[in-house]
Amino acid sequence: MTLDWWGLGLQAINVLILVWLLSRVFWRPVAGAITRRQEAAQALLEEGKTAQAKANAALADIAAARTGIAAERDAILAEAKTAADKVAKATLKDAQTKADSLIAAARTAIDRDRNTARKENATRATELSVEIAARLLDRFNTPSVQATFLAQLVEAIADMSASDRAALIASADGTTIVTATDTEDAESAKIERAIKDALGGTPSVRLVTDPSLIAGLELRSGHFVLHNSWRADLKAILKEVENAG
Amino acid sequence: MNSPLDSTVLFQIGPVPITLAIVTTWAIMAILVIGAFALTRRLDLRPTRRQAALELMVATLDTQITETTGAAPAPYRGFIGTLFLFILVANWSSLVPGVDPPTAQLETDAALAVLVFLSVIWFGIRAGGVGGWLKSFAAPNPVMIPLNILQSLTRVFSMFVRLFGNVMSGVFVIGIVASLAGLLVPIPLMALDLLTGLVQAYIFAVLAMVFITSAVESGAPSPPNTDLAPSQTKKES
Repeated sequence: MTLDWWGLGLQAINVLILVWLLSRVFWRPVAGAITRRQEAAQALLEEGKTAQAKANAALADIAAARTGIAAERDAILAEAKTAADKVAKATLKDAQTKADSLIAAARTAIDRDRNTARKENATRATELSVEIAARLLDRFNTPSVQATFLAQLVEAIADMSASDRAALIASADGTTIVTATDTEDAESAKIERAIKDALGGTPSVRLVTDPSLIAGLELRSGHFVLHNSWRADLKAILKEVENAG
Repeated sequence: MNSPLDSTVLFQIGPVPITLAIVTTWAIMAILVIGAFALTRRLDLRPTRRQAALELMVATLDTQITETTGAAPAPYRGFIGTLFLFILVANWSSLVPGVDPPTAQLETDAALAVLVFLSVIWFGIRAGGVGGWLKSFAAPNPVMIPLNILQSLTRVFSMFVRLFGNVMSGVFVIGIVASLAGLLVPIPLMALDLLTGLVQAYIFAVLAMVFITSAVESGAPSPPNTDLAPSQTKKES
């Protein structure tokens, strides 16, 4: 057994050349491809991280903006609430003032109406009283009362001035004696005579009936009336009461 | 049948005899280089199945180197990977009828062993300088210097003897069986020879790596990098 040193050397050179060639055409290109892919993946990761960071920053900006919007909204709401409260207070005050005015006016109107009603009631009560009195007095229209009224009429005529009596006598259309009830002839003649005697002279006298007098005798001419009846008395009372109210 | 220990000289170039093993080696070199060139022509960021298989092979080799040496695989990838590929293809070339594997010849295995021996020196000096490399012989103490020198020679010798013995014996056994038992009987033995060829290529490459690592670690001034392969490949340029 011998060792071929030429062969050994050649094989060593062959393997060395093979190492060199494969390093150039196989190991480095494949390792380079792996490295490039790793670098690309790393770059993608970095890009993803950068994008993530940008997205996080944008999200933070949006959150801050949203917080600002919320604060601004709260401020606007508070301001609007304050303005609304102010307007509501002013409106309430105005309404209160108007209501007070309306209440005062209503009270005034109520007082006025109450006074008016009270006056009307008083008037109606007075009228009713007078009406009641008239009806009551109508039941007492007796001959003695009639005689009393005749005496009072004669006395009133006597109290008149002479000129007044002369005017009555000289009245062209005559003098009317008004009685509350129809009288009998004798009573009528008595009344005419008494009045003629009181007037003096020769007056023209005629006798008429007016039930509204209730009781009494009145003397009327064209321009003169001598009241002497319960109706006249009641009217005087009513007038006095109305003037008093 | 010729003795496997004999080299068949095909022709002479001057004083240099060109044996069959050398010609077979050239053929294997051509196949490997042309094949590698063809396979790595179009490498892209989106790998095809072919590219993925190539990358898987390189990544596996890098992982193996890193796990063995604890260092970045780039400086050793070309040498160790080529050793493995060449020995593997050379071992398996015995399956081609009429082809004797170059690794069944003493010269080829001796040449590989010499290259490993020189690479150990080269990588040792590159890592720690000449002083560092020489100092590695005095580890753990100067008394071990003769033994370390003897070890550096004998371990390389054992490498090529192991490879030569396994491959040659395989070829020899298959040749004998084929001459005795005809066509089909050698097939199981040839299948076994496939496994043997793979294992021997792996053992040779791993041993070369271990020897280089021991020289680098002994001569290096600082502890080696223990990063794993995937991150180390990024240092490749």
